[in-house]
Amino acid sequence: MREVYVAGIGITSFSRLEFPLSEIAAYPVMMAMKDSGLKDIEHLYVANMGGGRVNHQTGLASAVADTLSLTPSGAELIENGPASGGSAVKQGFMAVASGMHNVVAVTGAERMREVNNLEATDLVATLTHPIAEYIYGVTLPSLAGMFTRLYMDRYGVTDRHLAMVAVKNQRHALRNEFAHIQQEITVEGILDSPEAMTNNPYVAAPLRFFDCCPVSDGGAAVILTSREVAEATGRPLVRLSGVGQASDTHCVHEREDPTELLAVRRAAAGAMEMAGVEPSDVDVAELHDAFTILEIVESEEAGFFPKGEGHLALERGDTELGGRLPINVSGGLKGRGHPVGATGIAQVYEIAHQLRGEAGDRQVEGARVGFTCNFGGFGNNVVCMVLAGE
Amino acid sequence: MKREIYAYRCRRCGELHYPYRMVCRKCRENDHNEFDPEPLPREGILVTHTDLYALPAVFEIRKLGLGIVELSNGVRITGQLRVEEPKIGMKVRGEVEVVRSEMYSDYYGMVFYEA
Ligand SMILES: [Zn+2]
Repeated sequence: MREVYVAGIGITSFSRLEFPLSEIAAYPVMMAMKDSGLKDIEHLYVANMGGGRVNHQTGLASAVADTLSLTPSGAELIENGPASGGSAVKQGFMAVASGMHNVVAVTGAERMREVNNLEATDLVATLTHPIAEYIYGVTLPSLAGMFTRLYMDRYGVTDRHLAMVAVKNQRHALRNEFAHIQQEITVEGILDSPEAMTNNPYVAAPLRFFDCCPVSDGGAAVILTSREVAEATGRPLVRLSGVGQASDTHCVHEREDPTELLAVRRAAAGAMEMAGVEPSDVDVAELHDAFTILEIVESEEAGFFPKGEGHLALERGDTELGGRLPINVSGGLKGRGHPVGATGIAQVYEIAHQLRGEAGDRQVEGARVGFTCNFGGFGNNVVCMVLAGE
Repeated sequence: MKREIYAYRCRRCGELHYPYRMVCRKCRENDHNEFDPEPLPREGILVTHTDLYALPAVFEIRKLGLGIVELSNGVRITGQLRVEEPKIGMKVRGEVEVVRSEMYSDYYGMVFYEA
């Protein structure tokens, strides 16, 4: 395989965007082209989950290629649930690694706020098993709620630990101008204050409102190239050095130990093996905190902390900006927001930004190796990546 | 006729699956039709649970109890939970009832009560 580099990056604000879905997908590509100075994109990959259903737009990749005047380059839509972004980056990686292309653009976008929150939640709930989960009213928050309860029971995670993830990531988001949530919160304010029951009600007990990421619109893009092309741009070199992916049972109840996220463990190990790094080599990580519990458990399954001890690392401050392994300095899904198809690419954007040393007041000092985890379904399809600054 | 929910036993190796899958997870040797359906037992132990407050629009109630139950034959199932104070490890008993009503159809599934 050839080495693959992240030569250009681009992103939109994550919030409510009053633009057509195709423009939300195209804008970050345009920014990434400016960032890298590359105009000749040989192929385009577009990640999106809800366009056909929520925005009544199918064939999105063709629309994006045309609005960017990239025709006659080839273009494809990648749908892999909340891991669509990671999957699209992986497709772009393979295209360059194989030698088929030298310059590809990978973008992800979602415009979910065109519908109300319940419809957006229902769109995501269609990821669950149609007859063994969905008909009962099972949604992603309810699976996360059941998972959290089990984790609390077995490992002593409390609602305070969950709140600490929310507080940390929303604090990080204050340093990210593109982040959806720009609000500082405190553990006391969302758990102990007289207002807590109204400002932080249960969504899927024991998970509360502040344990869940917002529904966001937004887009993010990267341009992946061969080493030769990346060197010629004159921008700092960031190599996409490892990619791993794994699936797991569709029904959560079929997992032998339902407190394990085996697809995360396997995808992370695969990405690190390809990159030739150990968990202890990683300096900065973007994890898929759609629910606060997921950041804690993914940090264990990726090998950063022993199983059942992710919440202790959080207590020690290890995962904060300035800590031993800062996690979600972009704000994560919790603070930056979660436009589903864009998320996996926004993670790679953030790590590349960090490894270039251009992340401003959220820069992780001396970051050389970064890691991403993009979590699809309730852990039934996970894409992990390792990036390295050179 | 009593309504049942079925698990599927692989004719090649005997592994029991719920829900149906086309190829056996244990031996991966069978064809799609080499499964024998067996009604699921009703007695089980609550593995985990939640009260869901952000409900899909078709549920016109304030909160919905959901749980994962390990049945007496070792098979696990996700179902609705109608228990006042659910606790992990408690004994529950399932009934097959309407779990979702939409404009043109009712969907049946397992609803668990305190045993
Ligand atoms: Zn078998």
